[in-house]
Amino acid sequence: MKTLLGLTVANIKSLTRDRAALFWTIFFPIMFVFLFGWIFGGSGGDTRISVGFVDQDASGASAGMRQAFSSVQILTLQYGTLEQEQAAMQHGDVSAIIVIPKDFGAGLTSKQAHAAVIQYYIDPSKTQVDQIVVGAVTQVQNGANLTIAGGSEVVSISPQTLTSNNIGAVAYLVPSILAMALMQLGVFAAIPLVQQREKGILKRIGATPLSRWKLVGSNVLLRLLVAIVDAVLIIGIGMVFFGVQVVGNVLAAGAFVLLGAGAFLAIGFMLASFLKTEEQATGVVQVVQMPMMFLSGIFFQFDFLPGFLQTVGRAMPLTYLADALRQTMVNGTQIVPLTTDFAILAVWLVVCLGISTRFFRWE
Amino acid sequence: MTQSGEAVIRVADLKKYYGDVKAVDGVSFEVGRGEVFGMLGPNGAGKTTTIEVLEGLRPPDSGTVEVLGLDVCKHPQPIKERIGVQLQSVSLYPRLTVTELLDLFGSFFKHRVPTKQLIDAVDLGERAKARSMNLSGGQQQRLSIALALVNDPELVFLDEPTTGLDPQARRSLWDLIKGLQAKGKTVMLTTHYMEEAAELCDRVAIMDHGHILEMGAVPDLIGRRFKERAVFFDSNPKLPADGLAKLGGVTRAAVEDGQTVLYSKDIPDTIGALLSMADGLSVEPHNLGIRQATLEDVFLDLTGRALRD
Ligand SMILES: Nc1ncnc2c1ncn2[C@@H]1O[C@H](COP(=O)(O)OP(=O)(O)O)[C@@H](O)[C@H]1O
Ligand SMILES: [Mg+2]
Repeated sequence: MKTLLGLTVANIKSLTRDRAALFWTIFFPIMFVFLFGWIFGGSGGDTRISVGFVDQDASGASAGMRQAFSSVQILTLQYGTLEQEQAAMQHGDVSAIIVIPKDFGAGLTSKQAHAAVIQYYIDPSKTQVDQIVVGAVTQVQNGANLTIAGGSEVVSISPQTLTSNNIGAVAYLVPSILAMALMQLGVFAAIPLVQQREKGILKRIGATPLSRWKLVGSNVLLRLLVAIVDAVLIIGIGMVFFGVQVVGNVLAAGAFVLLGAGAFLAIGFMLASFLKTEEQATGVVQVVQMPMMFLSGIFFQFDFLPGFLQTVGRAMPLTYLADALRQTMVNGTQIVPLTTDFAILAVWLVVCLGISTRFFRWE
Repeated sequence: MTQSGEAVIRVADLKKYYGDVKAVDGVSFEVGRGEVFGMLGPNGAGKTTTIEVLEGLRPPDSGTVEVLGLDVCKHPQPIKERIGVQLQSVSLYPRLTVTELLDLFGSFFKHRVPTKQLIDAVDLGERAKARSMNLSGGQQQRLSIALALVNDPELVFLDEPTTGLDPQARRSLWDLIKGLQAKGKTVMLTTHYMEEAAELCDRVAIMDHGHILEMGAVPDLIGRRFKERAVFFDSNPKLPADGLAKLGGVTRAAVEDGQTVLYSKDIPDTIGALLSMADGLSVEPHNLGIRQATLEDVFLDLTGRALRD
């Protein structure tokens, strides 16, 4: 155990002292988060929120409510039936819906407690928007109670939840970029391995009593540690700078981070089994990772790819890691169920590991 | 064959082929405790293959190989605890420092020498904090010898420890290797430098094309073949070697590297005859000199080729 840690520390030192390697494994994905965050999160200056307004009462009172909501600076209202607005919210055209139900006016005139209800629909995964909408609704409710009912609780509010399919560009991208970072982390592991073999380091260590699984284990340990660092940094930046909310199952997301890193490491090891020189390794690694980066639907929804490219994309493990991370982190729409993601990644892990143990050469 | 009683290396009829290449083709030798044993031969002779089989890095095709009384194929782990290994041309984790590398390698062994002591032993004190990639060639070789000593091994393998070094760095490495023997360690080294084998080794095996051609102490190897000394001069077409072979005292004449060499039992007689013959032809032998036969001559005599890198 001590020797395993010692070797891992040696690997960490080698990595952190190698500027190029450090750039690719840590700064490159972070750069992506900022780049895409700024491009797609561009609405930062315009803080107005689109809200669907549904008037089912069509009374003087409901017209007053409409007036009151439209005077809230931060909201932009759009009017329609409940069905229309729900569809719009699911598409991401509006962020919330305010409903004035039938009999609102009658309830108000009855002056009985909680006789008039304002309903609103929010998406629990978008806490920032939700806070603003709830604030606006509460403000209108209080105003109405004060002016119309003389301060008694006649108007009440009733929250509903509606999960949007459109999770927003940045929320879509953050788990995707994390998936990309894990893919690169694993696949790029082929390079130092080939390097260490070419330099004879693997052979030299083979001349000591150290068992070889410890040597491989230390490489795996290093990469898993970097995977965790990458995950924390990328998610942290998404949350702090771009308001992305992690609403899914954190444990499941963590498990997929490790499984994904493991599967791509196995791919990296498999590549290292067949590559002889460092130059070969650098080239082949790019040939493997580039198409994966672009065909796995990590920068745009998978459906936008032309049919045959979708087929190629569906063959790639990155598609399923990104899918799993989106589902577990931001409630993204699934491409396949989580269990399928898990199974596909696990198969890649086992098969590539098997091939590596069969063909890996120490010198 | 060994000088002291106990053999720490015992190799019998070792063979290792790579496809058609017979890298090692039936090699047998023994090395006694405390000996410095050298394998001398040109590139491709099979030295590295032999030494790496002994280190447990390559499985032999056939033959028996015992190191420290244990079969290399059956007990690689306990052997690895007790030997020190320096491989030909290995650059270790380039971004780790001398101290970090020695600490790391030390952690692989049950028994270890303190890092400070190792650094002093190979005289790298001033570079203890330098990354290995920034060391000079000679310093890197010292480091790899220090790494071979982290477990205080009984037996040290050095594969071409001075290849590519300048003469000064080579000399200081020779002192280091002599120091190992003084500490009671057995050393097996390979080299393609004659002087190195002659300077360091108690016994030398001359190797070529996967075979050991001759083995023994350096003076014996020379004495076995050459009872005579050699007269040499820059070759001159007017003084052809076969013509000179008949001069007084000459047993054999050869051309090596642009020099004509006359092996002679009676040097004064040979020189007198050579000079008067040259005088008669009105030529002057340039750079005329006399020397003992060397390992180089032995190799030339064995293979018909000069041993050069
Ligand atoms: N791994 C290998 N695969 C194929 N041929 C090899 C391998 N290692 C060595 N050889 C060949 O075996 C012969 C002996 O090589 P080697 O033991 O390295 O010689 P030396 O160390 O004396 O220069 C050479 O012809 C070399 O090309
Ligand atoms: Mg060699």
